[in-house]
Amino acid sequence: MRILAELFFMFAKLSTFSFGGGYVMFPILMNELERNKMATVSEMTDIIAIAGMSPGPVAVNAAVGLGYKVAGFPGVVAAFLGIAVPCAVIVTLVASFFFKIYKHPMVRSILNVLRPIITGIIFYAATGIALKNGIVNAAENTVIEKGWNVFVHGNQLFEIKSLILAVAAFFLLLKTRIHPIFIILGSGLLGIVLFK
Amino acid sequence: MTFFKLGAISFGGGYAMIPLIEGEVVENKKWVDKEKIVDIFAVAESLPGAIAINTSAFVGYSIAGIPGTVAALLGNLTPSVFIILVLSIMFAQVSSNTVVKSAFRGIYPAIVGLICYAGYKIGRTSVKDIFSLCIMVLAFVAATFLNIEPIPIIISGAILGVILAVFKTTKRVKNEKRKVKEK
Repeated sequence: MRILAELFFMFAKLSTFSFGGGYVMFPILMNELERNKMATVSEMTDIIAIAGMSPGPVAVNAAVGLGYKVAGFPGVVAAFLGIAVPCAVIVTLVASFFFKIYKHPMVRSILNVLRPIITGIIFYAATGIALKNGIVNAAENTVIEKGWNVFVHGNQLFEIKSLILAVAAFFLLLKTRIHPIFIILGSGLLGIVLFK
Repeated sequence: MTFFKLGAISFGGGYAMIPLIEGEVVENKKWVDKEKIVDIFAVAESLPGAIAINTSAFVGYSIAGIPGTVAALLGNLTPSVFIILVLSIMFAQVSSNTVVKSAFRGIYPAIVGLICYAGYKIGRTSVKDIFSLCIMVLAFVAATFLNIEPIPIIISGAILGVILAVFKTTKRVKNEKRKVKEK
């Protein structure tokens, strides 16, 4: 019961603070998990990968995935409600009111500062995943075994194959209309070739 | 009952959902008019929470009040919840397999690229001038190198927004007073 309440409140908190959609949630989620030890960073990265592959909002998918991992079906319900209830409450309470104040200079000003902050935090999420999975500046236990690691003074600086994959994924998304699902699936196949 | 239709169109998720919702709700069903839906999207993006959830809750609310909100949310999210559940269960069974592990070695960097792209996409609308660029870099540095949690960063951003708004209004009031005096 305690773990379900914990799941619910964690996602309710995340949902309340994630201005700008699902990806903003990940860095906050990672920090929360580091504190409460519900899942390790690499387990959470797996969940994010699966969440990105599935249809539907990425935030809901990640919540459901983590909820299942931590506490099975009851965990799914708790995590899902945690994500959905604050949105529903905020929308119903604030909807009509917010339409009136939405163009108010104070609200504009707050959103003008919040939007670039969210952008910075999303890049922080990407950096965090790269750091914690041995792609850049790996710790001793996260160095990629079959990778082409570049070392400077005994510290791993980056791993070439992963870096190429990350840059390739970014530019494919930027320059083509390939759906992210195929990018994830394709990189999975490449992963089998490159790292097995 | 028709809200279940919303569920069927939820495939694609997040930002990809917006044109689909628009087509369905505005053109096919004529539940809301075109100007209102643009406002709904703008507000849904400004409020906290996942954009897809906010939008469907909003559309449901403006059509049928609180029951509409609940119906839209359930209709919209049930399919994706089932799919992700099936995938999670499948993954739990194969996660220790070495082939799966090496596949995920390839997927991690792709996720990094994917999230960078999400940041780039949002950045194109949110970073318009040097001021917002500085704010973005500051938020990134504070989170990455100073280990400050995202939530306090977001809250201090909101406070900064309030301060700037107050500053601007007092400046404007002063300017207006000066003009009145000059006259």
